[in-house]
Amino acid sequence: MTTDLHLKSVEELAPLLETKKLSPVELTKAILDFAEESQPKINSYMAFYREEALAQAKVVETEIWNGQYRGMYHGIPMALKDNLYFKDKITTMSSKIHKDFVSGYDATVVEKLRNAGVIFTGKLSMHEYAWGITNNNPHYGLVRNPWDLDKIPGGSSGGSGAAVAAGASVASLGTDTAGSIRIPSSACGIVGLKPTHGRVSKYGCYPLAWSLDHIGPMTKTVKDAAGLLEIISGFDHRDPTCTDVPTENYVQQISGSVKDLVIGINEEYFFNHVDSDVEKAVRESIQSLVDQGAKVEVVRIPSLQYAEWAELVTSLSEASAIHHSDLQKRPQDFGDDIRLLFELGELPSAVDYLQAQQVRRQIKQEFTQIFNQVDVLITPTLPVVASTIGDDFAYLNGEKVDLIDNIIRFTGPSNLTGLPALSVPCGFKGNLPVGLQIIGPAFKEGHILNVGYAIEQTNPTKNRKPNIFTNS
Amino acid sequence: MSLSIQQLLENKGITPKSEHLELLKARWEGMQSLRSNLEGIAIDDADIAIRSIPGGDHIDN
Repeated sequence: MTTDLHLKSVEELAPLLETKKLSPVELTKAILDFAEESQPKINSYMAFYREEALAQAKVVETEIWNGQYRGMYHGIPMALKDNLYFKDKITTMSSKIHKDFVSGYDATVVEKLRNAGVIFTGKLSMHEYAWGITNNNPHYGLVRNPWDLDKIPGGSSGGSGAAVAAGASVASLGTDTAGSIRIPSSACGIVGLKPTHGRVSKYGCYPLAWSLDHIGPMTKTVKDAAGLLEIISGFDHRDPTCTDVPTENYVQQISGSVKDLVIGINEEYFFNHVDSDVEKAVRESIQSLVDQGAKVEVVRIPSLQYAEWAELVTSLSEASAIHHSDLQKRPQDFGDDIRLLFELGELPSAVDYLQAQQVRRQIKQEFTQIFNQVDVLITPTLPVVASTIGDDFAYLNGEKVDLIDNIIRFTGPSNLTGLPALSVPCGFKGNLPVGLQIIGPAFKEGHILNVGYAIEQTNPTKNRKPNIFTNS
Repeated sequence: MSLSIQQLLENKGITPKSEHLELLKARWEGMQSLRSNLEGIAIDDADIAIRSIPGGDHIDN
């Protein structure tokens, strides 16, 4: 039973736990052992909670074995991104400034996972203050991609992406302001869901940019993401951006049927300037849906041309407002890359910020109209695969392009609109995963998860697993 | 007369690294170019998407 437990998904492990074929203690020990063994290779953890996790696992084991099974995540060991507050634990945001910060309360998502019987194995690394896409952290070291240890895992939830892909955490949560769940999910070959803005409470999550931030699942499979979203979603009056929309049973909504599904394709923005191998994998996945009865419709979203500007002005301004005081008083304690971004965020005027919100409203209106025509939009998650550690550029069809600009091009619009977006693995370029993004109407997470499941089932590379002890 | 990026930041009590100044200038110009012909689109009809909710963020029942 102990063989390769770290490679199994929640949907594989849950029935074993429920039927007492697997002990939560045995599982937790296996995950912790692998996580600690993998740490020198991928550096995904900020802190390990071994003793508490094993003690918690014993409690959970008693509950399950006494017939008090609470559901899919009961007894599942997980580590979370280090910007989510755990009561009486250090939450660093992978920064030097907050290195000793201890929260007096659990984040709402942490509280909900505790109630669901999740076992916490530790905290995962992130790009400093969640503001970057490489997870190359000047204070705590860089995180490596389990598929190729010379490549970035993506960010800012790079520790979550690397840990889940390698097997150092069965599942995880990430946060996403311009793509920080979907970027590492795509780069590490896992599933990442940015839910609708307001679907998941952000109470107890250190903010980056309040109007763009989201929390969401990062998992091995689509059903794992659906089960995790069921637990963490729901209204919370402590988060002013949270919306009072009832939680749904997302796992039950997954049938895998895409008959009569209408897929929107926006060629001008989402298929412009894309690596040819990435584009091929995405288009082949779309074709697999068409083969199952879906239809494709080409759509236009003209104001997307301003999305990158609006995203930058909004995120830079909001993030800089949060860090303004530290930027005045102790700028030397920031990593160079984010210090530069916070300085840049001091430059837009109030007029710039408000015009960015007007553009944002315009983009939202156009997306609303599109979703009267089509059920989902499908795009590549990223125009490129993971780049080499230390490079500030990526290769796109042999051409050197700016890394940051190109990484967030396709993920940023869903933060501006708040619409749900799912990244699902759909193939490989060499040994590096390629992700596909499904964007849907607001609060229709069940719908995009179902489409993601259909893609997952037809993905010819779905059984490939990384092995960090043989990769580079 | 427009102020330099360095002056703008220093007026806010922020001292940028000297090696950041050229990068800041380049990135700011890059952002301005992304803004491009914003005046050419009909954003006047788009509300400013910031809500003010009287009585608090949420009203508890």
